[in-house]
Amino acid sequence: MRTEEELEADKRQIVHIDLDTFFVSVERLQNSSLLGKPVIVGGLSDRGVVSACSYEARHFGVHSAMPIRMARQLCPHAVFIRGDMDTYSRYSNVVTDIIAEAVPVYEKASIDEHYLDLTGMDRYFGTYQFTRELRQKIMRESGLPISFGLSVNKTVSKIATGEAKSGPERELYVQREQVKPFLNPLSIRKIPMLGPKTFNLLRNMGVAKIETLSQLPPDIMERVLGKNGIDLWRKANGIDPSPVERYYERKSIGSEQTFESDTTDLRQLNEWLVRMTEKLAFELRTRNKLTACVVVKIRYSDFDTHTIQKRIAYTAFDHVLIQEAKDLLQRLYTRRVLVRLLGVRFTHLVSGSQQLSLFEDRPEQVQLYQAMDRIRKRFGGDAVGRACF
Amino acid sequence: MKFVVSSSELLSHLQAISRAISTKSQLPVLDCFLIELSGNTLSMTASDLEVTMTTTLETDETVEEGRVAFPSKMLLEILKKLPEQPLTFVVDSNTLGVDIQSERGKYNFVGQPADDYPNLPQVEEDKASSMRVPASLLLTGITKTLFATADDELRPVMNGILFECSPENLTFVASDSHKLVRYQRLDAKTEFEASFILPKKPASLLKNVLPREDGDVQVEFDNKNAFFTLPNYRLVCRLVEGNYPTYNAVIPQDNPNRAVVDRVDLANTLGRVSIFSSQSSNLVKLHYSSDEVMVSAQDLDFSVSAFEKLRCQYDGDEMEIGFKSSFLADILENIDSSNIIIEMSDPSRAAIVLPFDKNDFEDELMLLMPMMINA
Repeated sequence: MRTEEELEADKRQIVHIDLDTFFVSVERLQNSSLLGKPVIVGGLSDRGVVSACSYEARHFGVHSAMPIRMARQLCPHAVFIRGDMDTYSRYSNVVTDIIAEAVPVYEKASIDEHYLDLTGMDRYFGTYQFTRELRQKIMRESGLPISFGLSVNKTVSKIATGEAKSGPERELYVQREQVKPFLNPLSIRKIPMLGPKTFNLLRNMGVAKIETLSQLPPDIMERVLGKNGIDLWRKANGIDPSPVERYYERKSIGSEQTFESDTTDLRQLNEWLVRMTEKLAFELRTRNKLTACVVVKIRYSDFDTHTIQKRIAYTAFDHVLIQEAKDLLQRLYTRRVLVRLLGVRFTHLVSGSQQLSLFEDRPEQVQLYQAMDRIRKRFGGDAVGRACF
Repeated sequence: MKFVVSSSELLSHLQAISRAISTKSQLPVLDCFLIELSGNTLSMTASDLEVTMTTTLETDETVEEGRVAFPSKMLLEILKKLPEQPLTFVVDSNTLGVDIQSERGKYNFVGQPADDYPNLPQVEEDKASSMRVPASLLLTGITKTLFATADDELRPVMNGILFECSPENLTFVASDSHKLVRYQRLDAKTEFEASFILPKKPASLLKNVLPREDGDVQVEFDNKNAFFTLPNYRLVCRLVEGNYPTYNAVIPQDNPNRAVVDRVDLANTLGRVSIFSSQSSNLVKLHYSSDEVMVSAQDLDFSVSAFEKLRCQYDGDEMEIGFKSSFLADILENIDSSNIIIEMSDPSRAAIVLPFDKNDFEDELMLLMPMMINA
């Protein structure tokens, strides 16, 4: 009963608006000969993965995050494009600008999706009509196809967008009383943030449809999945109180590198680690942040993935972070198996400046960082870096 | 064993040493005061194995000598609640039963055998050094430096005050690696050169009892322990082992930028402006230009900011330097002079804070490491 009331109490109107096969659409905009052909965007080397693919390519079983090599086998006649992040983010900003002009509260959730809070706007136009017009306007002005889902909260809207994409209309309005009937027959896979591990776990429990999930007692969910379980259960019931936030603080920054060829060369691994850590530390300093936790991630060639983390005193200094990262890698890299991917992440970020230490931080070192940062700001992030031996 | 003692006098002595007792003592007997009577002298001891403090008191109507351990909490509680009056303590040496006879009644409890109480370390004569310093000097040295000690489990040497004696002076140093205080007394000298690191706890115990004492303090130390003998108290403590960092090397020598500021003014300004500083970093910026310093702070998360301008005498290049406001406030609070001198070289090097009014017999220097201001 409680859930029904909560659902009832949520009188919001939230839109999730998502650009269709965004990278492919941008490429087609620049080169019309790609229209109607299977297009695959992703790293062109054999080691790359698919970052986006057109619907034509999807017919052949290609999907994003699939290794390019496999995509080539499935769909050899597709057009393969390397992709250009700068162009994509420029187009993404064009769309954001159009939205910003029309809607007071929006959230840019990623490069190709936005959440809009239209609560209160229905009195004048009707939110559905308004969103349809906005969609037409975006398509007209940016030339990019876009789909939307309109409902009472972010989760339901996002699921609605997913469903809308398979229909001809490319838009879906799920009214409050429709939320449950809409969600119930769908696979639990459709719930955002429900990853393959949780999916497998729930499938093994015999849960396949959102309806089944929503009828489970919440304490069982909590026992099986912890705090996340309750969140999932609430989402399955169509409840998601999270607001549409214009800005939100990043809680971590990180970087990953998949190697050209798998390696066991510890020297090369360390070299990458230093380079990534250096870049991230520079990012920390530019954003005026300090980190208190270093995470190192390693993926072996058999996709066996491990991470290790360590709490440290708040810092943004390369030499401290590099040393910690190297120590962690030393402890993490225990299997003598080829390594496919290496990653570093800083979490527990706080904003603030670094308090210098009398005995550890030499002024020359501080000045060195400041000088290096100035060079990077002027000539780009790769302009200067440590030599690795 | 029997003695008569004034309740308030006993309380004041016991309260002074009771701080040595740890809240989590390692042995049950360490929750007790060790009470020893010999002749007319009553001596009381409290300890946590690291620090041991003893005090003595003259008593009347003593019968028999003896030793016993009294539970500290119960004794302190009853003494606190009693109005001033003579108390008669009678201890049965066989059963260790204790009777306290007051004007109106009698309280009794059972003591613990004194033999369970750990023995005090003794001075190792052949390795020991010793000196005599006035109590007031020792008190000033500790008060000036104690606030700057660290709380760092990984580097225990920083959790204490470094005492350095030499034929020229006696130096007190404390640092938590962000701020550093060096206080030198030119009127206290020794013939030898030696040093030891006094941990925080005994230092603050001394800070509490020293104001009650006049005269000189006998300081003896070997490589493990230090012994402070005051007229009425004696403190024995284990020293921090290890080498203190070479602090003189981090004191910047060449500081072309020099400001003279009113200390109280700056402290008050800082108190107001720092309210607007970022809560995580506490950063305040000091912008020096000719005859003026601007103290500013901002917190982007809550979009609040503040600045105040202060008149000062400034010789040097225009510069901006950032400090953690709480550290700077500590420094300003612990310096006596009404005007202070701030010497700086650049925004990434430590700033030196000195008193403007100087005595011939003391030399006080405080260092504060800045925060990195990202350009």
